[in-house]
Amino acid sequence: MASLRRFFLRLANALRPGRAEPDLARELTSHLTLLEDDFRRRGMSPEEARLAATRAFNGVEQTKELHRDARSFRWLDDARRDLRHAGRLLRRDRLFTATAALSLALGISANTTIFTVANALLFQPPAGVVEPDRLVDIGTSGLRGGFGPSSYPNYLDIRERTTSLDGVYAYSRFPQAMSLGGVGTDVGTESVFGSVVTINYFTVLGAIPAAGRLFGRADSDHPGASPVVVLSHRFWTRHFNTDPTLLGRAVMLNGHPFTVVGVASEGFHGTGVRAVDVWVPMNMAAAVTAQAAATLTDRAAHWLLIGGRLKPDLSVSQAAAEMDVIGRTLERAYPEQNRGTGLRLMASSPVPGNGGPMVAFLALLIVIVSLVLIVACANVAGVLLARGAARRQEMALRLAIGAGRARLVRQLLTETVLLFVLGGTVGLLLARGMVSVLVSLLPTLPFPVDLSLTLDGRVIAYTVGLSLLAALLSGLAPALQASKADVLSGLRNDPGLAGRLRLRHAFVIGQVAISIVLIISAGLFLRALQRAASIDPGFDPRGVELASLDLAQAGYTKTTGPLFARELVDRVRELSDVQSVTVATSVPGGFEVRREALAVPGVQPPNGRFFTVDWNVVEPGFFATLRTPISAGRDFTPDDRAGTQPVVVVSESAARQFWPGQDAVGKYLSQPTHGPQGPTNPMQPLLVIGVARDVQSSSLVDGVARASAYVPLQQQYVSSLTIVARTTSGRRITDQLRALLASMNPNVPIMTSQTLEDSIALGLAPQRVVASVAGGLGIVALLLAAVGVYGVTAYAVARRTREIGIRIALGARRTDVVRMVLQEGLSLTLIGAGVGLTLAGATSHVLAAFLFGIPPIDPLTFTGTTLLFVAIGVAACYVPIRRATRIDAMEALRYE
Amino acid sequence: MASESTDRVELLQGTLDLIVLRALDTMGPQHAYGLAARLEQVAEPSLRLNQGTLYPALVRLEQKGWIKGAWQRTETNREAKYYSVTKAGVRGLEKQTERWRRLAGLVDKLLLNEG
Repeated sequence: MASLRRFFLRLANALRPGRAEPDLARELTSHLTLLEDDFRRRGMSPEEARLAATRAFNGVEQTKELHRDARSFRWLDDARRDLRHAGRLLRRDRLFTATAALSLALGISANTTIFTVANALLFQPPAGVVEPDRLVDIGTSGLRGGFGPSSYPNYLDIRERTTSLDGVYAYSRFPQAMSLGGVGTDVGTESVFGSVVTINYFTVLGAIPAAGRLFGRADSDHPGASPVVVLSHRFWTRHFNTDPTLLGRAVMLNGHPFTVVGVASEGFHGTGVRAVDVWVPMNMAAAVTAQAAATLTDRAAHWLLIGGRLKPDLSVSQAAAEMDVIGRTLERAYPEQNRGTGLRLMASSPVPGNGGPMVAFLALLIVIVSLVLIVACANVAGVLLARGAARRQEMALRLAIGAGRARLVRQLLTETVLLFVLGGTVGLLLARGMVSVLVSLLPTLPFPVDLSLTLDGRVIAYTVGLSLLAALLSGLAPALQASKADVLSGLRNDPGLAGRLRLRHAFVIGQVAISIVLIISAGLFLRALQRAASIDPGFDPRGVELASLDLAQAGYTKTTGPLFARELVDRVRELSDVQSVTVATSVPGGFEVRREALAVPGVQPPNGRFFTVDWNVVEPGFFATLRTPISAGRDFTPDDRAGTQPVVVVSESAARQFWPGQDAVGKYLSQPTHGPQGPTNPMQPLLVIGVARDVQSSSLVDGVARASAYVPLQQQYVSSLTIVARTTSGRRITDQLRALLASMNPNVPIMTSQTLEDSIALGLAPQRVVASVAGGLGIVALLLAAVGVYGVTAYAVARRTREIGIRIALGARRTDVVRMVLQEGLSLTLIGAGVGLTLAGATSHVLAAFLFGIPPIDPLTFTGTTLLFVAIGVAACYVPIRRATRIDAMEALRYE
Repeated sequence: MASESTDRVELLQGTLDLIVLRALDTMGPQHAYGLAARLEQVAEPSLRLNQGTLYPALVRLEQKGWIKGAWQRTETNREAKYYSVTKAGVRGLEKQTERWRRLAGLVDKLLLNEG
């Protein structure tokens, strides 16, 4: 009790000194007086008595120190004093404080922003998943690598054969849009995103329900046996107000009744980043997916991603080796469907199979923002150095009266830390805004994403740690320099000047070099974007509206679906504003490209038995709507319908690949028909009726057109479609389309709507993000570097005022003075530029992968940046030059 | 050498608190100078007391709530801060004395056995 009481009193004394000090002084005075009285009583004179008392007491100041140590915590007391002192200093020099804090805030907020994203993608464990680091992703790899989906029969085989995984589950690669309607209640139909999962999905992930139950023993793998559905907690909250009576009730998914059996725990969305509203068991796939019944039996239907949980004591690489063997076995067993396809197993990632590139991209961004922070730190350090010089005498004085050097360094560091805490706080606030700016750089995604970009404890800890580290790094050198002022040289004019100048020059050179690296990186990415924009995509993306829907949601079949699609196109064409319209299964720039294997009679494919092409199923008018020229033959017409000769339009690159130097029109392609029978399926001949210009189909990133084939919807029906409408005004027509569809069939909701320009922008998102981040921050760094050059030059002019005055008095011309000052400022800029260009040359080779063939040492970018920096260097010298040329010789000689 | 002297200070610190508390208990309220004079009188020449070292001991005891200080006038009409033992201080003194005795006994015994 007593010691606890003492602890709190000491703490209180350290934080709020109060009356303890004056009280002690009074007590000590009284003590000395009594002592003096005693000596006087013994017969000393008052003078003698005072001296004797002081001698007998032996050290009033020491006693005070001892008392302070006993009554409070010394280090805390010191820290409090330092903090107060630092606060006073910062308030006194408001301009310095504001600029330093602001540049630090920018650097820190940029770091916090990127870390927020990295945190969400890399460090936040998926919610509601047990031991996520024991999970793995399994995908298929083609001849060129990659990480693709697999089929249900392959999944079953993998589950059967693996010995290194405790549980293997599968889930649809993309959450599918489904229509959800109530039974009995009139809630209307809306589009939700559902994932089809194996019934062991929740069990293997270790998920627990928030209400009801998840899939498990009660459900069956037998097709059609378990019409049950689990809702995500978010969906349950948002749409049903966490209504507990919903459990056990029926809802309609794509027109089929499903019983709601449970709700997943809050935040659970599997291991990926995509948001899911409902989970449907695999055995009900036929009812809710577009691809009809074959999905569970067709080994060639690749639509599932596979995940598993490692057995205890097994490593990812051991499991990967086993999966590789299983992949080869399956390839041998089913050559028709699995030829050229291996299996890859990797540690689970929010973007399965792409963990590596994602980490590399985030690392690139982190390097960029760290560079900016370093520049900001160098700036602050430079100014602190200058201030340290100004406070030399104060330091010398304090050293003289016995303060230790460590104590001085601590005091100076306190100032810096306070500055950085200020910067960090503002930075944290700025980061909130910057996260949304960063998100706005990304084009709208066609599917919902569940990524919590929150400033959580980890982000805040990172920011605080980063601020303190930066403060230590940029404050330590100036503090050591400043505290070096030794007592003897304290009064001499310029002790330690050379060392301080060297250090300050080094800071400025570093700033210039780093800003050059940033600006050049931004420049290269801008050039890459420019190059991408200059590539002819083979279509005109401006003013084209896209809206995706799935006719399977409303129960359309192979016979009714094509009719509805035809009617839909006709009705959309009647809307005002619409110039031309079609429907297609995929659009340029879209994520989900369908690939199809084809045989070409008389031509041997380079690998395996088939050629693979990008496959698109379209209504007539596709090429006209996209303004893609038909270079030979004809477009589809309404007469290319079921029952007539199956036809195909191929792209120019396909024509070149299949029949080099020949006329493709009139040739035949062989298409394997899909079905449960597998390899024995007959081949269907397709007559080539036309050749279309190449379209940069998947994205513009690689600038390489892949072989494509187009077939008419009326002959090869697919339920998942996108309306492609070119408008005369370029205005969005989403609402009109929605109203039109609702009037035609309320069970067909629009799942996603986008403009074609947004859709193709996705492929360039990484370049756009890097160009914006590096460019924006590069400009900040550039300004900071300019301030640094200015500071050094201005200081040099001030220091050499006398010298310049003498020179002018001796007849130096203005141009000589200008040259002298310019030399001072520009030499730093040029050295920095040299270092920066070398660094940029090295880094740009690393970036080459993102640059679409822009040479890493792009002459335009490099010379442009160098000229920019010389100009900035000259500009930064302008004010010091003006001051130097106006130096009055007489006044300068009287200086000091 | 340095650590040796630190050890001595620490040993003294603990004992000094006990000595001061005991002295205040027997003498009644007393100021620091009076306390110092008294200790020198009693312990001379075995204890060379630096008067200043009393102050940390006093603040420690005060913060523990074992003594209380109050400004008063001396007989010679000088102002001085008089410390008196509180109720908690009386209990603390008993406990500390007991502890000291046990510790001293133990050290004695060990030293005898070693010898």
